[in-house]
Amino acid sequence: MVDAVVRFPFDAMASRCEVRLAAPDGHAAEELALAAIAEVRRIERTYSRYRADSIVSRINAAAGRYSVECDAETAQLLDYADHLHRASGGLFDITSGVLRRAWDFRQPRVPHARELAPLLALVDWPAVQREDGAVFLPRTGMEIDFGGFGKEYAADRACALLQERGVRHGYVNLGGDMRFIGPQPDGRLWSIGIQDPRKADGTVASIAVSQGALTTSGDYERFFDVDGKRYCHVLNPRTGMPVSHWRSVSVLAPLAVLGGSVSTIAMLKEDGGLSFLAASGLAYFAIDGTGQAHHHSISGDYAS
Amino acid sequence: MTTSRQPPQDLAASLLAAALLLPGVQALADEPPQGGSISLRYLDYADRQSGLDRIRAHSPSIAVTAPVASDWSIEGTLTADDVSGASPRYHTAVSGASHMQDERKAGDIAVTRYFRRGTLTAGAAYSTEHDYVSRALSLNGTVSSEDNNTTWAFGIAGSRDRIDPVNHVVVDEHKRTLSILAGVTRVLTPNDIGQLTLTRTNGDGYLNDPYKLFDNRPRSRRQNTVLLRWNHFVDSTGGTSRLSYRYYSDSFRIRAHTLSGEYVQPLGGGWSIVPELRLYTQSAAYFYYDPVYDGTLGPPFPPGFASAEPNRLSSPDQRLSGFGAVTAGLKVQREIGKLWTVDVKVEGYEQRGNWRLFHDGSPGLAPLHARIFQVGLTRRW
Repeated sequence: MVDAVVRFPFDAMASRCEVRLAAPDGHAAEELALAAIAEVRRIERTYSRYRADSIVSRINAAAGRYSVECDAETAQLLDYADHLHRASGGLFDITSGVLRRAWDFRQPRVPHARELAPLLALVDWPAVQREDGAVFLPRTGMEIDFGGFGKEYAADRACALLQERGVRHGYVNLGGDMRFIGPQPDGRLWSIGIQDPRKADGTVASIAVSQGALTTSGDYERFFDVDGKRYCHVLNPRTGMPVSHWRSVSVLAPLAVLGGSVSTIAMLKEDGGLSFLAASGLAYFAIDGTGQAHHHSISGDYAS
Repeated sequence: MTTSRQPPQDLAASLLAAALLLPGVQALADEPPQGGSISLRYLDYADRQSGLDRIRAHSPSIAVTAPVASDWSIEGTLTADDVSGASPRYHTAVSGASHMQDERKAGDIAVTRYFRRGTLTAGAAYSTEHDYVSRALSLNGTVSSEDNNTTWAFGIAGSRDRIDPVNHVVVDEHKRTLSILAGVTRVLTPNDIGQLTLTRTNGDGYLNDPYKLFDNRPRSRRQNTVLLRWNHFVDSTGGTSRLSYRYYSDSFRIRAHTLSGEYVQPLGGGWSIVPELRLYTQSAAYFYYDPVYDGTLGPPFPPGFASAEPNRLSSPDQRLSGFGAVTAGLKVQREIGKLWTVDVKVEGYEQRGNWRLFHDGSPGLAPLHARIFQVGLTRRW
């Protein structure tokens, strides 16, 4: 007998999310899905910048004053952020969230350089001090957040949890970033469309996947258009201005957290994004500002 | 374009190693992407020659790309054509078209192996009609430069056909062809792609058309083709133009030029419109004879038939005549929802002996007109 696939949609991390899995009966499926959803919510709660009691809020509140003790998980996330900062030549910077104070994507207004300058002075990951499991943001007003890969990390964690509990068919989708547990119960792959960056109800490509992760970064998530120019929420930490070269970058990777970082860095690299994607060794599908697609189908040898 | 300071494998490995240090994310063996597509096209083709409805073909064909495993994919195309109607008359001057029914079965299979910067595709095809069996093998490959801006292509293909015409003009004849191809595609600017392809085909064996009288062609044919293509994206309109020029020459002394252009203009709301124009001119094969007949013997005997040696080369095949042709078409396509695209295409074709531009034409031939109306439906999944 082939197990039925059950869908569990939910809202988390300001996104539409879904767990899909196959289990012998509905009750077992629900129990498994609830555990996965609980793990997503745990990560959201722990690392939310909107909750005063979260570790991220406590680190930010102590900026310029004192260092904050971190648990092992937070320390590892900070290590990963540090690695991404170096791998991206400084473009992936988890202290760049302060730029949101100047960019409000609910209203179409391009901030002045004089508004951005004081914020850019607070974007400085290399200045962050880390010693003995504690972290210190040296300047008042500095902030960190894990928005750049928190969602993907949660997808990976939720998937790993389901796998440990014996799930072999299904996937976790957090706002379009997906991690796959295995194919459909009958062995068919999941067919996943790539969102058309300019048409909300369209897709530009599709890919069949059963394992690994598929993540997409785009200029269409939060944005406004002024005088025919698109201003999107992906901001260059050096200029404080939105990136403009890519409409969307999708990456197929063994882990969602890896795919998400690579697609975001490719967006940040702008015209250097393609060579970065090539160097990453991952399969990608990218659409540039003219609407042209660039893609490479085969992932490299990760284990080397 | 900037390049990473780290060698590719180092960047990939270091990013993955860093991600794997995160607690509880657990890596799995990754499978390369696998894709599938299906499309159904319905073709309605009709052409006219001097007011005679000659051929109508209804040809539903389904192309399936099925993922099998890992980075291999197998493409298969199954076509079931049934052709009913008058086959093209072998001479416009001969009246009384024969009636012909024909069933064709064809299948092909191709396996592609992907590499970091290249692909290798091996294919085999088999097709049979009741008087004709064709087998073909091919090997094609591509290699891309490190920056992916240049792709070289190469290919070799061979076929072996057996011909057993129902009229027993010949029995168990054979034809062999061997083709080699070399090409380069280059991204010239972010908006332009250029391509150059050279092809050489050597054919040996029975190259005649067994259903044409006095069709006696050389038993060897050497064909060369140069194809130049240029695709350009127009920033101001969001459209794409595709221009190409093809030069063809062969040992039958046919020289042909083809100039074609089309322009894809998205109109918004999922609609796009594609006007296209193709100009063609060719010279006649040296043994082609116009529909002019021997003064004494009359039709269908070519001039001087009685005094000529029996193995004299000759052919009345219109495709070997000198002529020029113009094709103009318009395609409108619309995306329906996320998954479906429907397109409607109308094409008009006109061929005339005196439209050839560079060589002697065949003014004795009646002009050929064709209109093609095609509706296509494609689903993505």
